[in-house]
Parts: sequence; structure tokens; C-alpha cells
Amino acid sequence: MTPFLQACMNGLLTGALYAVIGMGLALIFGVMRIVNFAHGAFLMVGMYATFVLFDTFKINPYIGFLPAGIFLFGFGYLVYLSLVRPVRNQSHFMQILLTTGIALILTDSAQLIFHADYRQTHLELVNKVLRFGPFALNAASVLSFAIAAVLIVGLTLFVTRTLTGQALRAIAQNPEVASLMGINVSRIQAFSFALGIALAGAAGGLLLPPLYLYPGVGEDYTTKAFVIVVLGGMGSIEGAAIAGLVLGVSESLTSLYWHNHWALVIDFAIFLLVLSIKPGGIFGRERA
Amino acid sequence: MSVSLELRNVHKSFGGLHAVRDVSFALNDGEVLFIIGPNGAGKTTVFNLISGFLHPDAGAIVFQGRNISRLAPHQTARLGIGRTFQIVKPLPNLTVVQNVMLGAFMHTPNPRRAEDAAAKILAFLGMSHLRDFPARGLPLAALKRLEIARALATRPRLMLLDEVVSGLTTSEALALAELIKRLPEWGVSVVGGVEHVMQVVMKIADRVVVLDYGAKIAEGRPADVVNLPVVIEAYLGPKYKELAR
Amino acid sequence: MIGFKGWQLGALVAVLIACVFLPFVMQNDYQVRILFRIALFAGLGLAWNLVGGYAGQLSLGHAAFFGVGAYGLALFSAHSVPKWAAVFLAGLVAAGLAAIIGRIAFRLRGPYFTLASIAFAEVLRLTATNLDWTGGAIGLDTPALFAGRSFIWSLYFSALGLALLCFLINYATSRSRPGYYLMAIREDEETASAVGIDTASYKLRALLISAFLTALGGALYASASQHIVPDDSFPLDTSVQIAIIAMLGGAGTLLGPVVGAALLLTAQELFKNQFQESHLMIYGILIVVVVLFLPEGIVGGLQRLFRKKTKPLVQSAPPAEAAS
Repeated sequence: MTPFLQACMNGLLTGALYAVIGMGLALIFGVMRIVNFAHGAFLMVGMYATFVLFDTFKINPYIGFLPAGIFLFGFGYLVYLSLVRPVRNQSHFMQILLTTGIALILTDSAQLIFHADYRQTHLELVNKVLRFGPFALNAASVLSFAIAAVLIVGLTLFVTRTLTGQALRAIAQNPEVASLMGINVSRIQAFSFALGIALAGAAGGLLLPPLYLYPGVGEDYTTKAFVIVVLGGMGSIEGAAIAGLVLGVSESLTSLYWHNHWALVIDFAIFLLVLSIKPGGIFGRERA
Repeated sequence: MSVSLELRNVHKSFGGLHAVRDVSFALNDGEVLFIIGPNGAGKTTVFNLISGFLHPDAGAIVFQGRNISRLAPHQTARLGIGRTFQIVKPLPNLTVVQNVMLGAFMHTPNPRRAEDAAAKILAFLGMSHLRDFPARGLPLAALKRLEIARALATRPRLMLLDEVVSGLTTSEALALAELIKRLPEWGVSVVGGVEHVMQVVMKIADRVVVLDYGAKIAEGRPADVVNLPVVIEAYLGPKYKELAR
Repeated sequence: MIGFKGWQLGALVAVLIACVFLPFVMQNDYQVRILFRIALFAGLGLAWNLVGGYAGQLSLGHAAFFGVGAYGLALFSAHSVPKWAAVFLAGLVAAGLAAIIGRIAFRLRGPYFTLASIAFAEVLRLTATNLDWTGGAIGLDTPALFAGRSFIWSLYFSALGLALLCFLINYATSRSRPGYYLMAIREDEETASAVGIDTASYKLRALLISAFLTALGGALYASASQHIVPDDSFPLDTSVQIAIIAMLGGAGTLLGPVVGAALLLTAQELFKNQFQESHLMIYGILIVVVVLFLPEGIVGGLQRLFRKKTKPLVQSAPPAEAAS
């Protein structure tokens, strides 16, 4: 098997998690027009929550991500009510600044509670390799991919099939019309902020096993999530899913042909490229 | 009289929605023309197309003999197209005179001269007493005038007044109409947009163009257009067409 | 263009004289070093103010230009460029890089520029860490801009000069057409373009000047530290610190960044242990407090208190504006 195809497969496996992270950010942006610069920090909180469950209660991270996600939902809801809601009609400038402040507080809180030490779960699964015909795939990545796929499909169904999901899309289309239609915009915004954070948290839990955990681990994920959302078309949840996979593959190819130090450089290059060529996003649709 | 602005078969769609279809009309120098049509008929899109905030998918927009279809907003402004916004957009933390100075800066880099020019325009619009108040707290009628003042300070040849009287009381609207009627004195032609052929339009418009679902359905003198069956149908639905006859 | 009123000029000269004599009342070089940092960050805050304050474009990546200044000084002078010429060249490189980022990100409104600024600083940090000719993670030695044991005094006066330069540029901006244009862009970009302002171009010009000045500051910092590493030159901490200094003092005001720098760096010195332990937490809390309770900053808030003539007519917000 060529290394190229192998790298693509690995990239898709990671990309599914990126998709979940990006969908969370897209959800928040679509419904609130707020770019959450604390997204990576919330992901980091999800990782620590999963780690604590693993460390103290021996709960496997591939199960622990679920309570971690639920915890992040509540946490996100509280953060929304106390900090984000007051600025929801203010300028982008103030909103971005505020979420950056939240990110700094979360990162340093993790540092105070857990110290700067690198932690690991040492799960055996991480070192197991599965053979699918010509491909050799990491068992942990396959499992996280399967769970991420369920989350992606579930979220898509939720957004397209349920009443709340439709209300959510209506607000993303046009908040004024939505409120005229009798949708409680404020409640849906709180819900989608919390849900977006929960997705980041759950993805954090799933990312935990193969990675080292430290307080600053989330920083790059804010950038990644933003690049995904730009690539997918600002606020498009389906676009973010595809863009997440694309980013995963591009990073995997970067490691293959160059070095994974440069993954973020490639992400940034993609970001600038999309902004210069098609700022509406490659998978997005033009809006009025 | 020479043609100031001409739209030739202009078309614009968003996704599957045809916001403006095949619209053509022309405006002469010194003329006051109003585009009327129900909410969502495509008026604001037409204004955004003329001023360069949007670009047509097909057709051409010609201003003073030049095709401006692809120009950016600041370029159309520099060619002499001033505009106001449907939802008033004052710069809230600047004072009234500073807001108007922004327009005047197009013709002078000197703040003092820009201030003098702004003061003259404020006097014309009867706003001199408000000049040092921040725009933030002004009532809507004053904000609408402020928008006109800021656009007028760029010394435009054409002004686009989107929903210029919406939200105003009848007496406020009539007072504003008197001012709009005098804009041609400044060498300005006007394209206004309103939802209904109201008193104001009857009074000041030389001509009206009626839009419905993005298409032009009628054009002519205001008094003639209001009695056309297609116009009545557009506003009241087909049921009332019979009554109108 | 620069027409100071009599008392303003007097006040400026008085403050300058005080600043010049300040190091003479300090007890040791360590204290002069604190003064150096205050002057340096006042200058950096003022440079940021052009973009973040007047133009209203949130940069959380000014460490990129700061780091380019630091590395530029080290790298250019290693290739036998005279050291002051190296400082100037580093500034030009920073402005050139700013041009690339600004040209792409400023065509759009909204959060793109902020993310571009953050990511750009991070990309430069990674690049400096992973390349050989930048010394990798070990970093580079920087040349001393001034010889002798009291070089920190000379650096302090240089930083003071930079802060004065930044102040004068801010002042000239606030009183001239470009300043009005930048404020219009900050308040509402659509309106700005409707009166003929090429918004992308004006934002870019502000960023270029800001990047150049920030790089000069970075070079002074590098010379004071004598050795630079990527994590000290391009960190998010520095970007955030610069932004907070301006925001806390009052973004878009002339004195805000100066007040902000004096306050934050004095606090940093007084509560050195707390800052060392958790400076990011302190920055984060400061940001949240400023956004929620003091969006105009200290100077902006005071100005509002003392501004009597321009009370709004009606207390309520203009109608139909909350949306969008």
C-alpha cells in the first residue's frame, strides 16, 4: 500500500474528531454570530474531565468522554449565562476579547489545579494496530472515528429532524424572522452555546488517549476549529464536518512529507488561501 | 436632459432566490425617482447593487456613462453616488458634526475645512443646534437627516435614499420630503425607496418604479401608477383587482 | 497638522522632563529596568492603539511583530549589518509581513483578522523553534545596542523616545483625516465605505505603521535581554499583554495605553510572585472585567465623566440598531 493512501486513511480518522470540534464552533457561530475563541480551552477542560474520570474511577476514556461532554454542557451553559450573554449584542471586538479572556482563565485554572505536568492514560488500545486489507490502522483511532461518526450523524439528524434543530437553523438564517415566528431566540442561543461546548468537550475526551495532556493543549485547537469553520463556510454545520475531514487529511499528509511540527503552518496557509480565494468557504453557500 | 443612472436588465439571485430579475430603468439628471414595492420586493437589493455593496449576476449598471457594475462601495461613492441605509447607521460615538465631516473629507484633508463644509450642510438640513451632540442619543427623525447630511457632504451627483421616511410620523415625513425635494438644487438626482405610494411620494417624486418579487411591474408618474391594476394586485392580492376596475 | 494647545504642550514637556529625570532618583539598575519596561510597553500599547483602538481591529498577535523585531536585530547584525540599521530593517520586515496578513484578512469584516493575528504569531514561533538558522529552541544572542555598564539607562531613553514617537503618531492620527477615517471604520464599516473610504486600505496602513513600531520595541527588548528564544519573543502572553495595556487604559484614547502600561507593569512588579504563578489568569480576569464593566477603559471612562457638553439628547439607544 502506498504511504500516501495510508496517510489519507489516518487523516480521515483524526479528521472525524476535527469535524466534531468544528461543528461545535460552527453551531455557536451560526446561531449566535459569536466566534468562540475559548473553544480549544473548553476542549482542554473536556480532556481533563475525561482524565479525572479515568484516573480516579478507572472509567475508560472512550466511555468517559460522554459524562465529560455532559459536564461541559452544563459548564458551557453557566459560562453563557454569566459571561457571554451580557455581550451578545456588543461588537465582535468585545465578544472575541471576552472569549479570549475566558480561554486564559480556563488554561491557567487547569495549571493551578493539575500543574504543568504532562499526563498520559497509557491505554493499551493506543498501541494496537488493526489490519483492514492493505491498511494498518491504529485501533484507538478507529474506535474514536466510529464514535465521532455517530456524533456527527446524530448532530446532523438533530439539526435537520427535530423541532429544536429547526429553530436553531431558522435563527442561523435570520434571527429577526425567527423571533417573529415565535422562536425563543435567547433560549435556543443558550442551548446551542452549551451544545457547541459539549461537542468540544466530548471531542477532547476522545482525543485524550493518544495525546499528552497539559494545560496549554487546547490552544492550537481554537485555531484548527476556526480554520475548519472558515473552510466549511462560516456557520455551516455540514460544511464544518467535511472541512474537518479535509483538515485531518492535510495534516496527516504534512506529517508524511514534511514533519508534524508544521501542521499548524499548513492549517494557517489553508486559512489564508480560503480567505483570499473564496471567503465564503469552499463548502459554504452565498448568503444575502 | 442627460441620463444620470441606467439599469439594464439587472439580475441578482441568492442561492435559489431571485431577488432582482431583469430590472431596467433610467434616471435623468436632477430627477427624483422612487422605487416602491412591498417588503421583500427587492428595493434594498437594488440600492445595494447600485452602490456596489452587491454586484449583479447579469445586466449592467451605468452611471454618468460609465459601467459601475463591478465597483466597490467606496469607489461608487467617489464617483458621486451617496446613500443612506434602511436601518440608520450613525457612527454612535462621534458627534453630529463629526459624522458629517466624514463625508466632507472626500474633498479636503483639512479637518477645519471639512468642519465648515459640514456646518453648511447641517444648516441646510436644520440641524445646526445638534452639531455637538453624539449621534448615539438622537431621535429617529434626526438620524434620518444625519444620514442625508453625511451623504450630501460627499457632494454626490446621485443620492440613494433607502426607506427614507419609514418609521417617521406623517408630519416628520412631510418635513423631510420638503428637504428631499430641494436636493436637486445641490445638483443631486435622487432614487428613493418606500413601501407604499404614500402622500410623500405623490408630492416629491417625478416618477416611480414599482417592484414586485424582484421584477419591475410598472413605471410612470405617481398619480398614474397607483391606479394600475397590476400595482393594486401586487399590494392587495388578486381578489381586489376586480374591485379596482 | 499637529497643533497642540498651549497647556497640552506644556503638560507634555513637563511629563517628558519628569521621565528623563526619573532614572536619577532610582536606587539601582534593576529599578531602571522596570522603568525601561514601562516605557517600552507604553510605546507598544500606543502602537497597538492605532490598529486596535482607532481602527477597531482586534489584534491578539502583536507578538509576531515584536518577535520579528527581536529576531531581526539578532539575525541582521549577525550578518554584519550595523546594529541600528538592523533595528530599522527588522521594522521593515515586520511591516512587510503585516502587509501580507492585512491584505488578506482586512478584505473581510468580523473575526478573521483576530484569528489571523493569533495564528500568525504562533506560526512564527513554530518556525523560529524548528529552523536551524534561527537557532531553534536555543535561540540567539542579541547585540548590545549600547556599550558600557549603564546600557540599561540608554535603553530606557531609547524606549522613552519610541514611546514619544508612538504618542506623536497617535496624536497626529487623532487630529487628521486618517484618524477620522479609522474611527469611522471602527464604528461601522459599511457606513465608512458609503462615504468613500477605502476601508481595507486604511486598516492596512494603520497595521503597517503599528507593526513597524512594534518591531522597534521588540528590538529594544531583545537588546535588553541579550539572548532571545522563540517562547519569549512570540508568545501569546505578550500579544495579550499589549492588548490589555491599551484596553485597560482606554483603547482609542491618547493617554490610555500610557496609563495602562504604568498600571499593569507596576502591578506586575508589586505582585511579582502572583504574576509569576498565574499571569494568564490575571490577564483573563482583567479582560473579562474590562469587557463587562469598563469597555472604554480607565481614560475613556474618565473622559465620559468629565464630558458635559456632549450629553446625549435622549438616554435610550437608537431604535432598530440592536440587531445585526
